[in-house]
Amino acid sequence: MKNNTGGVPVSYRLAVASRVLAAVLGGYVLTSLVSICVALSLPMARSEAVLVSLMTSFVFYLLAILWCFACRSAGRAWAGMALPSLVLAAIWGVMAGTVGA
Amino acid sequence: MLAAVALSFSGFTALCLSMEKHYIELLKHKPSAARRRVLRWGGWALLLLSSWVAVKNAGWAMGLVHVTAVYMMTAVVLVWMLPYQPRLALILAALGLLVGPLNLSGLF
Amino acid sequence: MKEGFRQSMSWLHTWAGLIFGWLLFAIFLTGTLSYFKEEINHWAKPEVPVRSLDTAASLALAQGYLQVHASGSPRWFINVPDAREPVLRVGWQDPGKPGRAGFMRKNLDPQTGAEVQARESRGGDFFYRFHFELQMGYPWGRWLSSIAAMVMFVGLISGIIVHKKLFKEFFTFRPGKGQRSWLDGHNALGVLVLPFHLMITYSSLVIFMTMVMPASIVSAYGDNTQALFKEMFPARDTPAPAGQPAPLVSLPSLYAQFEREQPGARLGRVEVLQAGDVNARVVMSRHNGDQVSTAVGAARTFDGVSGKRLDSGTATAPMVQASGTFYGLHMGQFAGPWLRWGYFLFGLGGTAIIGTGLIMWLGKRQLKHAKSGVQPMELRLVEVLNIASMAGLLLAIVSFLWANRLLPSTLLGRSDWEINSFFLMWGLALVHAALRPGRKAWAEQLAAGAILYALLPVLNGLTTDRGLWRSIPRGDWAMAGVDLTALATGLVLAWSLHRLHLKTRQPARRTLRTARTAEPIGTVLEGDAR
Repeated sequence: MKNNTGGVPVSYRLAVASRVLAAVLGGYVLTSLVSICVALSLPMARSEAVLVSLMTSFVFYLLAILWCFACRSAGRAWAGMALPSLVLAAIWGVMAGTVGA
Repeated sequence: MLAAVALSFSGFTALCLSMEKHYIELLKHKPSAARRRVLRWGGWALLLLSSWVAVKNAGWAMGLVHVTAVYMMTAVVLVWMLPYQPRLALILAALGLLVGPLNLSGLF
Repeated sequence: MKEGFRQSMSWLHTWAGLIFGWLLFAIFLTGTLSYFKEEINHWAKPEVPVRSLDTAASLALAQGYLQVHASGSPRWFINVPDAREPVLRVGWQDPGKPGRAGFMRKNLDPQTGAEVQARESRGGDFFYRFHFELQMGYPWGRWLSSIAAMVMFVGLISGIIVHKKLFKEFFTFRPGKGQRSWLDGHNALGVLVLPFHLMITYSSLVIFMTMVMPASIVSAYGDNTQALFKEMFPARDTPAPAGQPAPLVSLPSLYAQFEREQPGARLGRVEVLQAGDVNARVVMSRHNGDQVSTAVGAARTFDGVSGKRLDSGTATAPMVQASGTFYGLHMGQFAGPWLRWGYFLFGLGGTAIIGTGLIMWLGKRQLKHAKSGVQPMELRLVEVLNIASMAGLLLAIVSFLWANRLLPSTLLGRSDWEINSFFLMWGLALVHAALRPGRKAWAEQLAAGAILYALLPVLNGLTTDRGLWRSIPRGDWAMAGVDLTALATGLVLAWSLHRLHLKTRQPARRTLRTARTAEPIGTVLEGDAR
């Protein structure tokens, strides 16, 4: 960890920016997918399920953001957003498919 | 409401005293482990009692809101007083032990 | 691994706190003022007469007024006067202008039903709107304040994670020790008032949740997202007009029914839909002050012609109630006087957490550069923004109130000019902070603030007949309260100035002492360069 008062390396700044993007944008996508799946899977009236998904969404967003800064690299941050998102998107597809069909 | 405030203030003071560092600062001698345990249990009991009073008065929803506000207020006042007026804080906490039950019983 | 986690959370806490701190300070301070927005409204319009409250009479007058001025409007609103705001408010949707532009609002005298001739002013509602709309167009302000709320949430949780000695130092506050004291204060306010901070922050996210997280709504409702609100609040549906005129039932008679069915309930808002049509409906809601959740026991719906009760009185759905509870807790409408002051003080506490954080961020780094004597530009920028966003904002707020008393009531666009004064003063404070050295800028702005706040009651007494010597004997505590709080604020600012002077008079000793005490904090807050 370079603690110099001179210039901070560019690679460091890029890594930070990358984590920020992963957290803000990637995290938002992930959170949206979580809330979609929560709303579709809860066994209650549609409006009730949607409300639960909305009210809890911010906790998931928080966890995503914390992950993006706590994990060991910017790459892991993106992976942490992308992989669960893909899984959830697949689950959404299955759930929406079974309902639509 | 007065009972809840008094009990909460006394409860937090007891919890504060149950910590060795604060006990020594405030009372100038070392506390025994037994005394610390009594203070800790007593402190939590007083805080719970404060909750019970608030809920009994205003129902669960309002009661919990009220007692949370009371907890926060009394904790802040206590922590603020400790460096400036520690003796006054202890006196008020002792008074709280009287005022609380008296207020509950309707005498004060 | 654990040390790495705490360090990364410390980094996140420090930088998120800095970048959004200035905005969050403004949101928290104006939001805190909003708990007394009704009182500030009352202060800002001293011409509004304080009459004894008679709900039924007020309703009759409002109905009469609206039947003359708002016939043909699909929606009327009536807010009867209450103890905190003695004005009868009516509003209606202009049928010719849909949306926000066509919404009309008027204040009526509850005794005569005539429009109140009071000076045009947004009063406390300005601070209220500002704290979530930030004077930006719809919906940008709400988006920005929601983003700030999310950052606040991250800041709170990361702060908890970082505070290793949360329980050990629960009762710890050591004043007079420089940076250590600032940190103790920051931690104490954070930990001891944590339930409030978490509630306020999370509830603010819930309030705009349908706007910021639409994904699940769209996935569940597709194109018909309005259906969500219809399912949540079935009683609020606006019926289509039949085109057939029919006289509106007497509102006081409906209120009598309302009172009979819910003894002790206070009337909140009355909505009249399609007044004058055969399909008219009247919705009477309980006063928000009667329960915590704003959604519970939502409304009584009556047929607008026959007065028959239409809603079946079904209980509100649990999740609707839950979201209403978040909303209700945030707004604090249910709070009586003691609890309302509690909200206000806790809100100030939250504001102070942000403020102390900003000051420590700068102070710690200024120490590092103290020996070299040169302050890098980035730190100077932070210093200027700190001063302008804190002392400057305080000046802006009091300028709004001064403008309210000084601007002539005949001035066109008067309420806009009050708001302009707010922003002009804020801008001036920014310029002043940029031109003056740090300590001097703080001292000068604190001094100006102390004078303006402390003299506000004097200004009020000189420009109206509602000064303290009138309002207190009359029991007009809303009016007196604003004056007295301003005075208290002035005194606090003067005391802060005094403390600042003491610090400046012994610079050498202080720097040495703070340099020594800075070490322990450094190990916790270190991590700004990884």
